[in-house]
Amino acid sequence: MAAPLLSAALRGARAGRSFGTAAVLWKRAAPLGPMPNEDVDVGNLEALERYRSFTRYFRQAERESREPHWWNTYRKHSKPPAEPPRDIGLPCERPSRAKEIKERRRILRENRRNAEMERAARLRTALIPLDDVRAEWERTSGPFHKQRVAEHCGVFRDLFKGATFTPWVALRVQYSQEDEYLVPVYYGNMVTPSEASSPPTVSYEADKGSLWTLLLTNPDGHLRDADSEYLHWLVTNIPGSDIKAGKEMCHYLPPFPARGTGYHRFIFLLFKQHGPIDFSQDTRPTPCYSLKMRTFSTFDFYRKHEDAMTPAGLAFFQCQWDSSVTSTFHQLLNMREPVFEFVRPPAFHPPQVKFPRHQPLRYLDRYRDTEEPTYGIY
Amino acid sequence: GLRFASTTASPQTKTEVDTSENEIVSPNFTNRNPRNLEQMALARKERGWKTTWPKREFWHRLRLERTQHYVEAFVERSNGDVVVSASTREWAIKRHLYSPKGVAACKNLGRVMAQRCLEAGINFVNFKAIIPWEHRCDSIQEFEKAMEDGGVVLYEPRRIFR
Repeated sequence: MAAPLLSAALRGARAGRSFGTAAVLWKRAAPLGPMPNEDVDVGNLEALERYRSFTRYFRQAERESREPHWWNTYRKHSKPPAEPPRDIGLPCERPSRAKEIKERRRILRENRRNAEMERAARLRTALIPLDDVRAEWERTSGPFHKQRVAEHCGVFRDLFKGATFTPWVALRVQYSQEDEYLVPVYYGNMVTPSEASSPPTVSYEADKGSLWTLLLTNPDGHLRDADSEYLHWLVTNIPGSDIKAGKEMCHYLPPFPARGTGYHRFIFLLFKQHGPIDFSQDTRPTPCYSLKMRTFSTFDFYRKHEDAMTPAGLAFFQCQWDSSVTSTFHQLLNMREPVFEFVRPPAFHPPQVKFPRHQPLRYLDRYRDTEEPTYGIY
Repeated sequence: GLRFASTTASPQTKTEVDTSENEIVSPNFTNRNPRNLEQMALARKERGWKTTWPKREFWHRLRLERTQHYVEAFVERSNGDVVVSASTREWAIKRHLYSPKGVAACKNLGRVMAQRCLEAGINFVNFKAIIPWEHRCDSIQEFEKAMEDGGVVLYEPRRIFR
């Protein structure tokens, strides 16, 4: 027992590096929660309920993997628990629930008594009207779905630094083309800069006498500073839903995502004003083609007018470079067009070891400064 | 004389100052859009998980859950976050259906789901998370056909490595 230790110590002394024998002392303690399958009585397996089908087992396994556990999981490691976000939107206005439920139950009972619907469902020819479904969806679960998609596109993270709101007001934005063609803007669809060259028609349901603010911003396109946005359109003190009657603080500038930078988000925000607000500090001169004047921060803008308005509507689209962007840069912005190229992050290699184990000969190529390979294609 | 010259010169100098600073562009550009890399097919897909099923090598996955009482469809990311969902439990869809389960419900759910996916900008979706012997049944075939007819491609493009 002493000989290997002594030879190891001598080897260490000869190499000039010492080896360590320190180890972490593991303390045995009780588990921090119940062990899985603890409630299964192993002695009486015949009495257990079986799955009898793979689908039932698979669904149970998926549900179980989504539950939080007391041991460390990959889910906890990749997505640490975040604090609940602040809600800055309008309060939820739901009608009385009992009447709604009664009405819905009546409609469902009528459906079940309807013989034609039963025949269509049996012969698989039933086709529901998608427009009615969409209209009803916009009224009931639309705002939550839109908030979820916006959360995934990072809209709240970039514009409001994490504070979210539910877009209760359905904002309908449409770009009209030359031949009566309409390009709608929903929550994340693709629109080209040539289609978006002129201001769109915006419509939403508004009470008479209410004042609104419409804002179009691009959080991704800033050519100098990564944290600020470009303001493309700002119309304030809009009475009702008539955009033309509102005061245009900043005239419409068509989108100009630079070539090679990929897809940019262009976000329409609709704020409901509690009363007439003075936006003299945010006025831009007409015409405003200076990118410095167009640099904008929605967070600061909202912070300034926090008490007088709340965000109520949201619509955004994704936009990529297109040949009309070149003319926007040359004619409107009076500058040379910037072209970018995607740069991959460098490949990660662990720190180099003097005697690597089970590595091919190209191991040396990974740490050499020049590009020459060791031999052939290896 | 001098005043006259200054009044004609000032509007010109204003526009020059306005757009002359536009040329200054930083050499490094950062795009904060989380969907940018996956739309350009450059984002990483989770390539591990090769010993388990279903695999997580996708950007968006379409998952269909059929229970005894309703049918639900989710489009989710590899970390589990649901992006777009449609279910026959929602009032908007339930009111037009005779029954919230079955082949007709799956077909109509497919049509509604395709519309919502296209509105959200999700054009390519991975539909591999179905059990093979269930994939052949009528309701899932109808759902798949409805999604294809709606315009969503059920195949995710390969990531660009070079």
